[in-house]
Amino acid sequence: MSEVKPNCSGAIDTVERALRVAEGDEADAVVFLSDGNLTRFASSSVHQNLSERSGSLTIRVVADGGKIGVASTSSLDDDGIRRAAELALELARRSEPAEGFAGLSRDLAPSPAVATLDEETAALDLSAKTRALKAVFDEGARVGVAFAGNFSTGVTTAAAGNSHGVRHEARTTSADALVIALGAKYSGYATRCSRRVAGVDLRSLGAEAIEKATLLAGTEETFPPGEYTVILEPAALAEAFEWMNMISLSGQAYEDGSSFFVGKLGEKLLGENVTLTDDALDRDFMPFPFDMEGLPKRRVALVDRGVLRTPALDTIAAARLGLVPTASAVSLESAEHGMAMHLAMAGGDATREEMIASTELGIWVTRFNYVNGLLDPKTALMTGMTRDGTFLIRDGRVAARLPNLRWTQSMVVALSNVDSLSRERRAIATWWNPIGATLAPTIRVRSWGITGVQG
Amino acid sequence: MSRRQLHEDVLKLLRERGARYADLRESTTTDESVKVRNGSVETLASGVDRAVGVRVLVGNGWGFAADSDTSEESLRATALRALDVAAASNIAARGTVTLSPVEPVTGRWSTSYDIDPFSVPIDKKLERLFDATEPLRSDDRIHQVSGEITSYRLEKVFASTEGSWIEQSSTEMGCGLEVIALDGDEFQKRSYPNSAGGDFQARGWEHVESLDLGTNGLRIRDEVLALLAAPKAPAGIFDLVVGSSQLSLQVHESCGHPTELDRALGWEISLAGGSFLQPDMLGHFRYGSPIVNLTADATIPGAIGSFGWDDEGVAGQRFHLVENGIFVNYLTGRDTAPTVGKVSNGTVRGEDASSLPIIRMTNISLEPGDASLDEILAGVTRGIFVETNKSWSIDDLRLNFQFGCELAYEIENGKLGRMLKNPLYTGSTPKFWGACDAIGDRSTWRVWGLPNCGKGDPMQTMRVAHGAAVARFRKVEMG
Repeated sequence: MSEVKPNCSGAIDTVERALRVAEGDEADAVVFLSDGNLTRFASSSVHQNLSERSGSLTIRVVADGGKIGVASTSSLDDDGIRRAAELALELARRSEPAEGFAGLSRDLAPSPAVATLDEETAALDLSAKTRALKAVFDEGARVGVAFAGNFSTGVTTAAAGNSHGVRHEARTTSADALVIALGAKYSGYATRCSRRVAGVDLRSLGAEAIEKATLLAGTEETFPPGEYTVILEPAALAEAFEWMNMISLSGQAYEDGSSFFVGKLGEKLLGENVTLTDDALDRDFMPFPFDMEGLPKRRVALVDRGVLRTPALDTIAAARLGLVPTASAVSLESAEHGMAMHLAMAGGDATREEMIASTELGIWVTRFNYVNGLLDPKTALMTGMTRDGTFLIRDGRVAARLPNLRWTQSMVVALSNVDSLSRERRAIATWWNPIGATLAPTIRVRSWGITGVQG
Repeated sequence: MSRRQLHEDVLKLLRERGARYADLRESTTTDESVKVRNGSVETLASGVDRAVGVRVLVGNGWGFAADSDTSEESLRATALRALDVAAASNIAARGTVTLSPVEPVTGRWSTSYDIDPFSVPIDKKLERLFDATEPLRSDDRIHQVSGEITSYRLEKVFASTEGSWIEQSSTEMGCGLEVIALDGDEFQKRSYPNSAGGDFQARGWEHVESLDLGTNGLRIRDEVLALLAAPKAPAGIFDLVVGSSQLSLQVHESCGHPTELDRALGWEISLAGGSFLQPDMLGHFRYGSPIVNLTADATIPGAIGSFGWDDEGVAGQRFHLVENGIFVNYLTGRDTAPTVGKVSNGTVRGEDASSLPIIRMTNISLEPGDASLDEILAGVTRGIFVETNKSWSIDDLRLNFQFGCELAYEIENGKLGRMLKNPLYTGSTPKFWGACDAIGDRSTWRVWGLPNCGKGDPMQTMRVAHGAAVARFRKVEMG
């Protein structure tokens, strides 16, 4: 029988078992074992509470000189592993040689030593989490707001290896909280993720959300669509970056020609103060030592002081494009051909308060809602709404609340118009990403396109 | 001990340990993806995922636990874990959970097909894709041509402390082509039969055979090349005619999601938001013009939002959400329906047994009207026709939306004119549907399968479908 132990051990053993039974010229395998809890709340009441243990194996077999087949299973017993290996081989034999494929990696450097586990987080008791939430609910009731959101913690062990002796395993913890404070008319928001539950202070997040929900309540103004200076907090920026990851930074976007990086590598297309990295080594972020093809993680500059350096690439896309792989493989299925799973924007030297104080007329944005980046990928033209705290800045002061606003904006233009970045950065969870997140500062951008109002 | 006996034994144990109610599910998901790109095999991948999931109500606290280990030992441990989680929830739960009644049922249900998708050899799927895509690479401006065939099967069992035991099986087939053209910095894409992977039906290989990939591939190649040189769709106020596939996504975003009662109650605020349709608007709020009828129907044969019973053991059914323009019903589940004085209409599903079941769309459709396409166009002096979704965005209450489409045409004096690129239209949901003055007849209506509706936390993707016809909307903001 397959088995996932609560401590998620045995991932690398499962990789070994898979590679032992895999036939063909070459093979590699990835195993994830996870044990997590997610608590959702609304109206200051827990309404969904989940505990999930899962295991998965993905095996990629190369046969007959570069033909690739991939199979996955959640059955991690010997029979399930053998069936997956046989299926991958059968698929490979029915395939055609993969364009540009130069073989699986070998003779790799060891993966970097990074701390990925926090024992306090791994040992967290569910009742203790619920009591901590109840304390936040009680604080909200005292000031007349209700809370909605989620709080999740978990342990994940990831292992990757191939038939050339590459072996990696990392046991990680994660904690992620999202808190929305709902007042009579307005809402506020705060979120944070970390490898350590101590880095996700629920009380502090609750207070931050309350402040946003109650600030200048009853002072709503509105103004016509147009171009305005905006101050974007990390959660807002992270959602736009999630789309940039897909449409601009991924190997797939580069290969299909939709990325604004195509034909522009080495050119300074963005502002001097814009540096974007795929950085899994920053110990204050969400450290992780290897990608899913087993390549050791390193800090990769995707944009360096405005200059486009490289998309995030797996080995196949890199070989096809004649570029260097960036240890950014998200899976062995290769659908994305590389994504920045630890996308980080370098900060500056300002504070949010300094940005507000030096803004004559502008909009302070807490977060975005339902961003879509497919309008015109070549310019990273996106649209979305603001929510949970949008404020008017006039003469250096927060003057009034604004309704939720629709915006439509090219991120290529926006990232050329950044005139201030905060020193402080915050890690924001991304739903599709089990091992990383997005790390973003607060930034101020000139000439951001506001195109509509909620209602 | 048979699996059914095991389920009954586990549920009995949960009752004895203090559960007010419990249900358990088991699932096996099998999928296969065959994708070609620029004359090469891009992906040959297959997966089998199994899971058990147990949901328990203790006091007024819900608990859910799941495991990919489906052994008897794991199922028993998962059930007790769910009980513990429910007890923890009860610490911070408010209000009283009331479950709307349901008669216990023992039953089986499955989709039907002529040719099992998994019985068709990979070689044949590759051949079909290469035959369709290779002729499309005949112009230097064609940068990428890809095609994909996906096969999917979900087999699941549901059992509850109220005595239900249900087995269901859904088999689906998806297929799509995509052509990308580049000319300098100009990037254009066309898809067939729909964007985002094509169209998905609860049918077999006969779905792929019905698509005429060869003819339609050549059509979208010609269209994408024409789009490179086409003028940009103008900004301003225009009468808008929306094609069937684009309108299906409009229905999804602006009717399907806001009629989910859990959203209206604030249960989904932490992810994608709430709903402008509040319970005090039921039965009298004018959602659209009098010709607008929107239904939820989990009984449409061949549609991927169909099922026999939902994941609470409530039978799939058909009902109006909007009737003659008036908002008349929500999509509900057993613990939400009583809050608006109703019984569940059977829309609670989880992606598989590892996912908590929540309210999901079934097949949400705009019912056909009585106009032909020519009649709809004839009523437009100066307007725009749009088709095939490219981008989508809507606010946290499902009011303010903006959609982009792959293709547009001018409409001049009732006739289609020049092709236009990069059309965007925007509006507010009730105002938009209130401006609907013509809906196409059955000849323009079809059901579109959408296998990737995101909702919940952790994010679940659900398989839903939407019937839609061509329809006309007056004075819509473009650009």
